[in-house]
Amino acid sequence: MGTTASQLGKDLLSEYQELTFLTKQEILLAHKRFTELLSKEDKALPNPRIPMQSILTLPELKSNPFRKRICHVFSTSDMKDGSLTFEDFLDLLSAFSDSATLEIKSHYAFRIFDFDDDGTLDVGDLEKLVNCLTGETDDTRLTPDEMRQLINNILEESDIDKDGTVNLSEFQHVISRSPDFVSSFKIVL
Amino acid sequence: KEMEEHQSVNFMRLLSDESGCSILSEDSCVYHHTEIYEELPSSQAARHRKQGGWQTCEAEPGRLPRGAKDKTSTQPLRNLLLCLQGKREARNRRNLEIRSVGFWESWRRSQSINRKRVWAGVRGALSSLLPWQHVLHSIEGRFGVGVKSYFVFLRYLVYMNLLHCVVISSFILGPTAFYGREPLTFEDDDSFLDFFLGSGFLERSPVFFGYYTRGSLNLTCLNTPLLYLNGVLAILILSLIMVVRRTAVSYKHMRLLGKRYSVNVSFKIFCGWDFTIQDHAAASLKRSFIRNDLKLYLEEQSFSLRKAQRTLAQRVRLYTLRIILNLLVVSLLGGAFYLIYFATITSQSEGQKVSLILQYLPPIAITSVNLVLPHVFRKVSSFEDYSFTTQVNVTLLRSIFLKLASLGMYLFFLFRADPFFTLNWEKNNQFGREMYKLCIFDFLASFCNTFLLNYPRKWLYPSSLLTRLLGKQRFLIPDNVLDLVYHQTVSWVGVYYCPLLPLLGTVKLVVMFYIKKFTVLRCCVAEQRMFRASSSSVLFHFMLLLGLFMAVATFGFNLYQFALSSSCGPFANGASVFNVTGVCVDSLPGPAQSAVRYLASEAFALPLILAEIVILTSYVSRGRANQRAIERLKDMLVMCSSDKRFLVKQHTTMLRNKKRTQKARTTDAGEDSSACQ
Repeated sequence: MGTTASQLGKDLLSEYQELTFLTKQEILLAHKRFTELLSKEDKALPNPRIPMQSILTLPELKSNPFRKRICHVFSTSDMKDGSLTFEDFLDLLSAFSDSATLEIKSHYAFRIFDFDDDGTLDVGDLEKLVNCLTGETDDTRLTPDEMRQLINNILEESDIDKDGTVNLSEFQHVISRSPDFVSSFKIVL
Repeated sequence: KEMEEHQSVNFMRLLSDESGCSILSEDSCVYHHTEIYEELPSSQAARHRKQGGWQTCEAEPGRLPRGAKDKTSTQPLRNLLLCLQGKREARNRRNLEIRSVGFWESWRRSQSINRKRVWAGVRGALSSLLPWQHVLHSIEGRFGVGVKSYFVFLRYLVYMNLLHCVVISSFILGPTAFYGREPLTFEDDDSFLDFFLGSGFLERSPVFFGYYTRGSLNLTCLNTPLLYLNGVLAILILSLIMVVRRTAVSYKHMRLLGKRYSVNVSFKIFCGWDFTIQDHAAASLKRSFIRNDLKLYLEEQSFSLRKAQRTLAQRVRLYTLRIILNLLVVSLLGGAFYLIYFATITSQSEGQKVSLILQYLPPIAITSVNLVLPHVFRKVSSFEDYSFTTQVNVTLLRSIFLKLASLGMYLFFLFRADPFFTLNWEKNNQFGREMYKLCIFDFLASFCNTFLLNYPRKWLYPSSLLTRLLGKQRFLIPDNVLDLVYHQTVSWVGVYYCPLLPLLGTVKLVVMFYIKKFTVLRCCVAEQRMFRASSSSVLFHFMLLLGLFMAVATFGFNLYQFALSSSCGPFANGASVFNVTGVCVDSLPGPAQSAVRYLASEAFALPLILAEIVILTSYVSRGRANQRAIERLKDMLVMCSSDKRFLVKQHTTMLRNKKRTQKARTTDAGEDSSACQ
């Protein structure tokens, strides 16, 4: 642990503590896990990125149907390939940590569910979301009729301004009434 | 009005999607759209409360609305919705010195998080301490909430029986064991069969009423008969409170869930996934759980749609069909009752001979009738075109009527059959013995049903013609719930004469849990259609309540009938329930005595009823007022959103006009500046 601490640097560590919801131990653990995923040649680079494929091998993400979306949302890569730097990784863990606020969690949940990144959940996004939840194979998927009916129901309930999509504030409106969202929207290393 | 608006909005979106040139204005519309939401008083108030920011990671500082900017400068950096680099820039903008997190603060924060985690861990451990949590979870994932609700009900009955055991042992068994009676002796003619018949050595054992004679504990207000009576009363009253409470809770739950306008589906979708799941099996379980849930919801909805679209002719045909089927059900019930009557008469007339078959004839009749008729009822109700949940509930209601009524008939004939028998000292024990036999036989029947019928049938399924005709096995919730309710009713009815029935019941229910788990997981396939558990669990508990009322009625009748003629057990030698309590009351001091007498008189009943009426009325009116308030709030919510919608539209058109004129002016002047707000 001593070596990792020295690798991370004391100033950096305390800066991360200030800017994220993570504790010192969690940041150190995250750093350890992150360096384990790095390949040999990447370790020499100043600000290495882990490709999405190796992020997805983390057991915390492996069985999550939204794992690719999570990577894409937290990635700051210009290539839009879902690769994460250490700081992106900390952002991810901070948003999914115990002490992140409902505001932050619901914001990121919205962006994860917004598959086409257009700022609203439209019919296509909802369809993909439901498929992720029920399972993607043909026999687990809902029939097209059921899907249409379901999406109409969702929009009828949550689309307050009736514009055919669910926007962030409407989404947060729904989420804020769920008591267990904060406890289920959580990934801890 | 709202529909109109909706359509016009759709139209607008369609237009903007088709024409490429208006994409820009659409974008700015979205942007202003969020901005005007920011400036609304309601959302600003909300922000004050929540202390949160609205800007996204990509948002540039210049585009931030003023109000939001003021807000963000006061909140801690880590609450900003920015990536780490963005937060650094925000800090630079705020010109804060780089604050190093001190040792103390770092320790404090990690402590608070650790504390939270420990609490969550403790809570998780406590909930996993509840027995069978894991089994229930996997059953729910594979078979849906309906089957799970059966197992939850079973577990609830186990709890209740355990509580009864505690009451029994503290009121009845404890004092008796302490104040002595000769230990149980075995005689030569005792056989293993006695265990099933409840005769022989069992008759002299603490299983039955006759064992509990008035021992050395013989004060006026603390003696065996009084304790015995209090124990049985405590069980009945406790059960009443528990069942009523449970029924009320599930009823409330059902009402809350059954309302329209709720955000049920959105919850299921948006908060459905549990991100803490790491295990692959748990993930697929969760998926199938969500799928079951959604399918159930959709099916119910499409059924209600279909129901609304029925024509008059269809409706008439349906109702005639239902009436005919109900007549059929009634005649079947009549036939079943006659069969039970016949069986009871036969077994009573040969009362002296101890023949196993004849002794068990009434239980066999009851069990076989109850084994066959529910299946018939299920088939009948499938013709009636109810929704699946209603279908299950209707079958349940018919079968419970059959089951409880057949038990009631049996009890009635038991009392009626031999009037001279009443004076026999064995009478009381005999009643307890009948209940004991019913309980044992019921258990044997379900055991055999599982291991001799269901399990082989599963193995024979693809090969044998008969089993293929019968189809794959499904877990039939009505039948199984009925068994439980029946068992519990027998236990309540018999507890006065056979105080160890709750103990027997607890053991039986625990074994039943494993047998049923085996049946579900090994022999059954998941039901294609799902059904709603909330309304059914009300029904389960309601049936339990019916059973309890029946038990109380029997108990009262027993007390009344045997008050004078008991010759064994705690109330032997002329001590009846009434004079034992009477003696106790007489020994009390004067004021207490008159208070008890007043409480027992009719003069007290009137004010009691009046007070109850007043309380009930106030609750009902309060409930109505709440309902009206909820309706009004819902209306207000709808109005608010349509107001907002209207304002946003006005605002965007105004802005667009403004921009157009500005653009025209700038092109006129030939300047090179872009459009600003």
